[in-house]
Amino acid sequence: MAKKMIEMRGIVKRFYIGTPNELEVLKGIDLDIYDGEFLAIVGASGSGKSTLMNIIGSLDRATEGSYILDGIDVSACKDSELSGIRNKKIGFVFQTYNLIAKTDALRNVEMPLLYAGVTAKERVQRSRDLLTLVGMDDRMHHLPEELSGGQKQRVAIARAMANNPAIILADEPTGALDSTTGRMVMDLFHKLHKEQGKTIVLITHSPELAQECERIITIKDGEIIGEREGSGKNESVD
Amino acid sequence: MNLLIENFRLALFSLKANKMRALLTMLGIIIGISSVIAIMTVGNSLSSDLNQSMSNIGAKDMDIMVTNKPQYDENGEEIYEYDNIRKIRPSDNITADMIEDYCQMYEQDIIAVSVNESVGAGSMKESGKSAVVNVIGGNYGYLYSARKELLQGRYFTDKEMSNGAMVGMVSDIVVENMFDGNMQTAIGSSVSVDCNGKEYSFTIVGVYKYEADLYSFGSPQSRAKTQSNLYIPIRTAKSLNHSDSSYSEATVILDAQADVEKMIENTKEFFNSNYYERNDAFMVDAYSMSSLLDQLSSMLDAVTLAISVIAGIALLVGGIGVMNIMMVSITERTREIGTRKALGATNASIRLQFIIEAIVICVIGGIIGMIFGILMGAVAAKLIESKPVISGSSIILSITFSTAIGIFFGYYPANKAAKMDPIEALRYE
Repeated sequence: MAKKMIEMRGIVKRFYIGTPNELEVLKGIDLDIYDGEFLAIVGASGSGKSTLMNIIGSLDRATEGSYILDGIDVSACKDSELSGIRNKKIGFVFQTYNLIAKTDALRNVEMPLLYAGVTAKERVQRSRDLLTLVGMDDRMHHLPEELSGGQKQRVAIARAMANNPAIILADEPTGALDSTTGRMVMDLFHKLHKEQGKTIVLITHSPELAQECERIITIKDGEIIGEREGSGKNESVD
Repeated sequence: MNLLIENFRLALFSLKANKMRALLTMLGIIIGISSVIAIMTVGNSLSSDLNQSMSNIGAKDMDIMVTNKPQYDENGEEIYEYDNIRKIRPSDNITADMIEDYCQMYEQDIIAVSVNESVGAGSMKESGKSAVVNVIGGNYGYLYSARKELLQGRYFTDKEMSNGAMVGMVSDIVVENMFDGNMQTAIGSSVSVDCNGKEYSFTIVGVYKYEADLYSFGSPQSRAKTQSNLYIPIRTAKSLNHSDSSYSEATVILDAQADVEKMIENTKEFFNSNYYERNDAFMVDAYSMSSLLDQLSSMLDAVTLAISVIAGIALLVGGIGVMNIMMVSITERTREIGTRKALGATNASIRLQFIIEAIVICVIGGIIGMIFGILMGAVAAKLIESKPVISGSSIILSITFSTAIGIFFGYYPANKAAKMDPIEALRYE
């Protein structure tokens, strides 16, 4: 059995604590994610999957429960330590790409390396390699506004890979793309999974995309209501 | 270090992206800094002018003179009518002995006491050649304080001084006019001077270099018509004037280290308690241009400061403008802030990024303002016919000041950015 990348036990998240509007969004989630796994988390909007993603991504802390990421007890971390975890352990891929405006592709990819304190020379080298990996080597000095949606998402994926994170956390990565470019992005995830052995967590509401992953977790009303195996196969290739 | 360089790069980038906005924001800083610098430049020019002209006329010297004692009426009010006050008599004057005692008392602080006796203007005429002179008798202190450069010959001997010998020192102008510039011939020659309707004959013992002094400015005259001093021993001048050997005024040349204010007090105290206590109508007063100079220059400093403070208000308004624009910029870039945080930026690095952006705006504005300020100051100094003095401190001051404004007014917005919740920021539309 592969090593556990993520171990969550009894994760509870409440909002507006102590007010009449108190809301329990996550009601005790137990979740293990293994190294090299390609996992999908599916759920309707309002199911709590975004909240779960925020906690996995160390953007937020659980109200209760324990969360161990790559051997680190995240639930005990301070804010400044969370920044470090996001920087080194997590690679975010957002639905809306979130590239930094007026900053070229190369510098966007360099960003996490910069916050990690990597030297300029190494930053450029690593970023070039990553952009080559995602097939964007000919667009390195293009600004985000000069790139198409699919290209932007590929740059974003390269950026997510920058510090060689423990997991890549992709939140509806194809949500803003048409089916063709969305397909290309999914192909890229499959490639990273197969060739680089990356652990990828895909958050989606699309059953078709989820089916491509190795394991599918379904969330409803803040609880895991189902877990099944997916094909783990790239639909366009196989 | 990496992050710091990157932050400067980023700041310049975001300024370039919003050129018009950046310029308008900077305008407040530019106006503020340039007016402060301009005022400081003009102020410095004026005070250096003042110092220059004061040192020319020997501001370090102290004048002492015999003056009327203040008179009081029966109510103890000072009377300013001098009608029924008696005239000054030779016995009211300062004597050579008093001066000697005084010099001994304050040996440390006094270089010399200068006294002089003017005989009057006169003309030298000799075989068709002529020169205009002002005959003036002085002691050693006077000759010292005149600060004339001896070109040929010598000063007076002690004997000549005490005997009241008919010897004199002439300027090189006199030598030019009377001896065709031959100083050797001049020394030892006898010249006759028409003065006050009498004719005196002096033996020339020395030639000094003529220098136009502060009082001889105005229409430049030809050297042939220039009046220069013919210095003679004081005793000689006294006897020519048939006056006694006492003085109603004297100039004290003080050591550079001497405390002028204190010496003024000491001098008044010395003369008045030792010699003038019993005098019914006269006393000795002392004053110095240097105290006047101090007053003037502190007044000037105060005025400069006051105007600078007003200009500083412009700077304050400029700073608030920077803060305002930073708030706007942060709101606009909420998503970017969220993204940066997701990528691992700490609160501190976000704060640094925006503070540096504010500093860059302010420092660029400060430098532009400084250049404008120096130009404005130089033009203003030219207009008031003063030499512009650009102080290094004003340059350092404007850079530090604008950096400080950047930090001060950038901190609040930057801190706001740093404290943003990454989830909220990422969700911001």
